[in-house]
Amino acid sequence: MKSSTLAKKIGFYAMIIIVWQGLDSADIWPDNIFPSPVDVAEDLAYGIADASLFYGIGTSLLRLSIGLSIAIAGGLLLGIFMARVETVNQTIGSLVLGLQSIPSIAWVPLAILWFGLTDTGIIFVVTIGAIFAVTINTYTGVKNINPSYIEAARNMGAKEGQLITSILIPAAFPFIMSGFKQGWAFAWRGVIGAELLFSFLGLGFLLNVGRQLNDVSQVIAIMLVIMGIGILVDGVVFKKIEDKVMTRWGLR
Amino acid sequence: MGKLESRNIEKYFTHDGKPLKTLDGIDLNVEDGEFVCIVGPSGCGKSTFLRITAGLEKPDGGEILLDNQPLTNTGPDRIMVFQEGALFPWLNVEDNVEYGLKIAGIPKEKRNQISHRYLDMMQLTQFATSYTYQLSTGMKQRVAIARALVMEPDVLLMDEPFAALDPQTRDLLLVEMQLIWQKTKKTIVFVTHNVAEAVMLGTRVLVFTHRPAKIKKEFKIDYKRPRISEDENLLPYQQKILAELRPEVKK
Repeated sequence: MKSSTLAKKIGFYAMIIIVWQGLDSADIWPDNIFPSPVDVAEDLAYGIADASLFYGIGTSLLRLSIGLSIAIAGGLLLGIFMARVETVNQTIGSLVLGLQSIPSIAWVPLAILWFGLTDTGIIFVVTIGAIFAVTINTYTGVKNINPSYIEAARNMGAKEGQLITSILIPAAFPFIMSGFKQGWAFAWRGVIGAELLFSFLGLGFLLNVGRQLNDVSQVIAIMLVIMGIGILVDGVVFKKIEDKVMTRWGLR
Repeated sequence: MGKLESRNIEKYFTHDGKPLKTLDGIDLNVEDGEFVCIVGPSGCGKSTFLRITAGLEKPDGGEILLDNQPLTNTGPDRIMVFQEGALFPWLNVEDNVEYGLKIAGIPKEKRNQISHRYLDMMQLTQFATSYTYQLSTGMKQRVAIARALVMEPDVLLMDEPFAALDPQTRDLLLVEMQLIWQKTKKTIVFVTHNVAEAVMLGTRVLVFTHRPAKIKKEFKIDYKRPRISEDENLLPYQQKILAELRPEVKK
């Protein structure tokens, strides 16, 4: 990032904090409704000091990674299958489009009925929320592969199985990458939403605890953490991978 | 009876819901070690013929034989060099060249040994770890040729591989291609729309007619190698071929 861009960003966020502090000092709303930035920072510090925050982050991220991994594996398989076999696309493909329109939070009641208030239930919600984004992007990616790649590989002796791992997945990777990114976004929303309703450890649970204790500063603190992790994964992890992929695949 | 034989190959395409005859019985016999060039008006089906030979498309009639065996599918005994190279951008040059060997289950060390021989032949050794986005069009075609040679195919099929190159790079590759052919003694079928290119490369040049394509005429090019593009003695060959080709282009 250029230093001038960085300076603008720092200035912008500093301004938000100043305005926020100003509104708090003006005493328009009581402190238990509108906490000051200092209250929120203190709450974050408590969370760090007694490690409850790390435990929450760890729990949420663990559920997310398991769910997202299953979604990625399943979505890749399903997407490739749809792209290679027209009948699968016409049948399962239409169902995938329909299922994708269900918000992941809407799967929570079913997950609770099926799995009870367990980790498995939350992971189910994460997986189901992310899998269709991976599927659809993989499908699009495989459909858009330059046909000469597949022909050249078959010509050099690649069998269908070898074609999948050595050509289809790498050739479609720029699209698959977008699928992972969307999948992650859905999974992240899914895990927090599910934890709120399951109320069983994790960042979503901490949000719910904040609400039950009428602790507005804890609620805001946790929301900031959720946002921070989102920025970190989207803006740092995915951006790095995307930059590399775009350059190597000759897409810029 | 030759190395590669095409017997009465026919192909139809569908155009506006009606079948459109593209190849009208192509009979061709390529001897072992021959360098056959096919020229024809654009859209005449010469590339389609090459793709059928490679087994990437099925003919609607006739058959292709390699060493007298009818062919039904694509395979590494006939390797195709595509017009745009079709290199895999996610692999570096070396891994691109070794792709077919890896697929065949040849161990890393052995692969390296083979690929470096051809990387060296194509003067690519110093680019072994480069990615395709870092290469010029000419370099990419060198990699594509190396990738094909590594497979040590019985027949090398080349589909206008130099069409997108600038004239200087093309001249260079046209000379190199002759040296490679002399060194490897490969049987090559080379499709091009460029008559000068065909005359420089071929031991034999076939002229395809306008669609539906037949072989209109063939020319033996008996001339010393390496042939260079500015050699005036090649002009009469070009003129004779152009005289056959021109009426087809106008159709």
